[in-house]
Amino acid sequence: MKLRFSTCFLLVCFMLFATSCTQNSKPVVREYQTLFRIGDQQEWAAKNWQDQDWEKRMAFVPDGQVFWSRTKIDILKAPEAFRPYGLKLEAYGEYEVFWDGVLIGKNGNPGQEASLPPEGELWITFNIPTHLAAEGEHLLALRISNYYFPDHVGRYELQIDDYEDLLTDRLIETSYMNIFAGAFLIASIYYLFLFLSDKKEYPMLIFSISCFLFFVLTMTQFVRTAIPIHYSLHVLRLEIISSLTFGISFLIALYFSMQFPFPKRKLFMGIYTVVLLYFFIINHHFFDFTIYNMAVSLWVFSLGIVLFGVYKKAKGALLVSFILLLCIILRYSVSFRISLFAGFSLILLSMLYLLSLRIKEERLAYESSLVQSTRLRLELLKKNIQPHFLMNTLTSLIDWVEEAPKKGVLFIEALAKEFDLFNQIEDQTLIPIAQEIALCRTHLEIMEYRKEINYSWEEEGIDTEQKIPPALLHTLLENGITHSLPLEDNSIKFKLLFEANHHHKCYTFLTFAAGVRRATSKEDGTGLKYIKARLTESYGSKWDFTSEPADHGWKNTIKIYA
Amino acid sequence: MPKEMNILIVEDESRIAKRIERLTRAIFGNALQSLKHIDNLSEALQFIENSTLDLVLLDLNLNGDNGFDLLKTAVSQSFHTIVISAYKDQAITAFEHGVLDFVPKPFNRERLEQALQRTITKAKIESSAIKFLAVKKRHRIQLIPITEVVYIKGAGVYTELFLTDGHKELHDKSLEKLEQLLSPAFERIHKSYLVKLSEIKEIVVRSGSKYRAELKNGERVPIGRTKYKDLKARWF
Repeated sequence: MKLRFSTCFLLVCFMLFATSCTQNSKPVVREYQTLFRIGDQQEWAAKNWQDQDWEKRMAFVPDGQVFWSRTKIDILKAPEAFRPYGLKLEAYGEYEVFWDGVLIGKNGNPGQEASLPPEGELWITFNIPTHLAAEGEHLLALRISNYYFPDHVGRYELQIDDYEDLLTDRLIETSYMNIFAGAFLIASIYYLFLFLSDKKEYPMLIFSISCFLFFVLTMTQFVRTAIPIHYSLHVLRLEIISSLTFGISFLIALYFSMQFPFPKRKLFMGIYTVVLLYFFIINHHFFDFTIYNMAVSLWVFSLGIVLFGVYKKAKGALLVSFILLLCIILRYSVSFRISLFAGFSLILLSMLYLLSLRIKEERLAYESSLVQSTRLRLELLKKNIQPHFLMNTLTSLIDWVEEAPKKGVLFIEALAKEFDLFNQIEDQTLIPIAQEIALCRTHLEIMEYRKEINYSWEEEGIDTEQKIPPALLHTLLENGITHSLPLEDNSIKFKLLFEANHHHKCYTFLTFAAGVRRATSKEDGTGLKYIKARLTESYGSKWDFTSEPADHGWKNTIKIYA
Repeated sequence: MPKEMNILIVEDESRIAKRIERLTRAIFGNALQSLKHIDNLSEALQFIENSTLDLVLLDLNLNGDNGFDLLKTAVSQSFHTIVISAYKDQAITAFEHGVLDFVPKPFNRERLEQALQRTITKAKIESSAIKFLAVKKRHRIQLIPITEVVYIKGAGVYTELFLTDGHKELHDKSLEKLEQLLSPAFERIHKSYLVKLSEIKEIVVRSGSKYRAELKNGERVPIGRTKYKDLKARWF
């Protein structure tokens, strides 16, 4: 678990390192205001065209009309020999690219979008010929049409740098992100399998789905390097990204609410869902805004849940709250996009950490339950060799053998039978009720020889199909014998009643005797402990045990809930 | 055989109680004046307080009750106590509190007889494990560590314990019975005195063959004429 944690952690650090490396240190160009004009004249590509009357903004160009944009650019430093500059563009529309009046590239078919199928890519890099890249003033002109998003006109980003760097940098970034995404894919599959092997472990399933969604999110974000995307499909990609963010945000908070339970959980999660939906719906097409708001709500609600966990001294809550606080620092130290990915991955790591804590707890609980079972088994075995039973029985036996050998033999036979029964049940956790009753009857027989009291046994409503933990009634019987004085006719009666309904099964064990006292000594304390431990072993917390005085003597009830 | 033994058996297992009773009758024969069996703690305590007894045969686990309080009460009385128990690990505790013998269950006639004989022969315990003398106080029993006892003086049917801190406590047991329990660390140097040997500093001889033992705390205790030889042999 430690290893997996640190591996993932290294990956995150690596990603942060890698993405920060791709940011270039010093720009080689200065970009001026871009100007627009509807219409189509080849002269508009020229470097010295008088464009003072062009518009600075263009809101809407319907029907895929052709329009032009002109951007003045100063190259501050000429490229080194044989290292041409490249021009990377992200723009809505299909266009032709002119550099100082020379056509240097084409992305789709401007003006013919309605009649031709979509062509070109949203992100594309062009080569600027070396002889046009001298230090000084230059002009970038685009002949564009935007058929699919006429209201998203003229918004584009450009970047000019070493041509090869522009191409390789994003490949390097993508390769890192693929490794990163792969780690989460593997975590997702691994925990899905773990969940499938134990279908009660919902946190594992939620973690698995969260990891998978995060994997898809990462892949969607960085898909553009691998697959060319036409600008008309870009909104679909953003829709996918914001939906994934919605899903992850919901699941992470749900996960924390399961790991750190708190009162009125359903109400709280309901409010959270409403908040998330609200942010998802309003200004839906301002995708960055939507994603940012959802991430912030996730952060606020998760922190609330985790701080409650810290207050309740839940294991791991302190570390998780620390990681959540770390996310603030992250937000203000790197770009939004990176902080989103790094934040999500840190939170997913903290979820993994919580899972590992729970798995460890379960392992420890399982180990201690094994120890407990062994201890109970030993306790059961000890019943027949503990001195009070064994030595008193043997002393009485000597006396019977000396005084009435024939009765002595019967006594030995009863003793043998009890030992035999104990041998049969010694390694069981549940035995048929009939066997338990046989054990009690044999014990009474032995005690009759020892105490010379007339013990009787009655039972009512016994369902022989039922099973109970071994020596449960036997222990109650022992306590009953030890603590009771006989009635006037020198008799003590024990009665076992069984009732069952769809809700629970109930054994009532009654002692009819004079002067029954509450168990005080250590020995009886262990007897009751034994009963409780056996019930817990077989029924978890779904049982009740009471032991109290009654008019006729003593009354024990064992309730086992369905 | 001494006459008029009054014996109490405290045992909650009826068959075992009958066995002890039968064997005791057989062993003491005519010397037995009374034999009583009680099977629970509170009755036993009451009976002990209100009866004249010579011996109590005590089981320490009665109906799941811890018989330790009963043991403390019993050993503070004038009679000797013999414990008959299934728990051998209680033997040391029992001896520390001053029981005459500890008979582990299961026992045969020989073992019980050996224990009962001690009350008759006044045989001393070979290696004394006693650590406390239980002294009756108002409403409670006080355990006096043997290390604090310097010497014991007979006072009628009672005895007086003289302690290292100068205090004096009254004990119900006779000097003979205490001698049985406390030997060999204590020596009967006089018919009325039982002294811890390690407390004797020197023996002073006075005119007229009067012997006195000078103790480390400066007190002087008389030495019986007949005891002097024994003491001298052991002490020098």
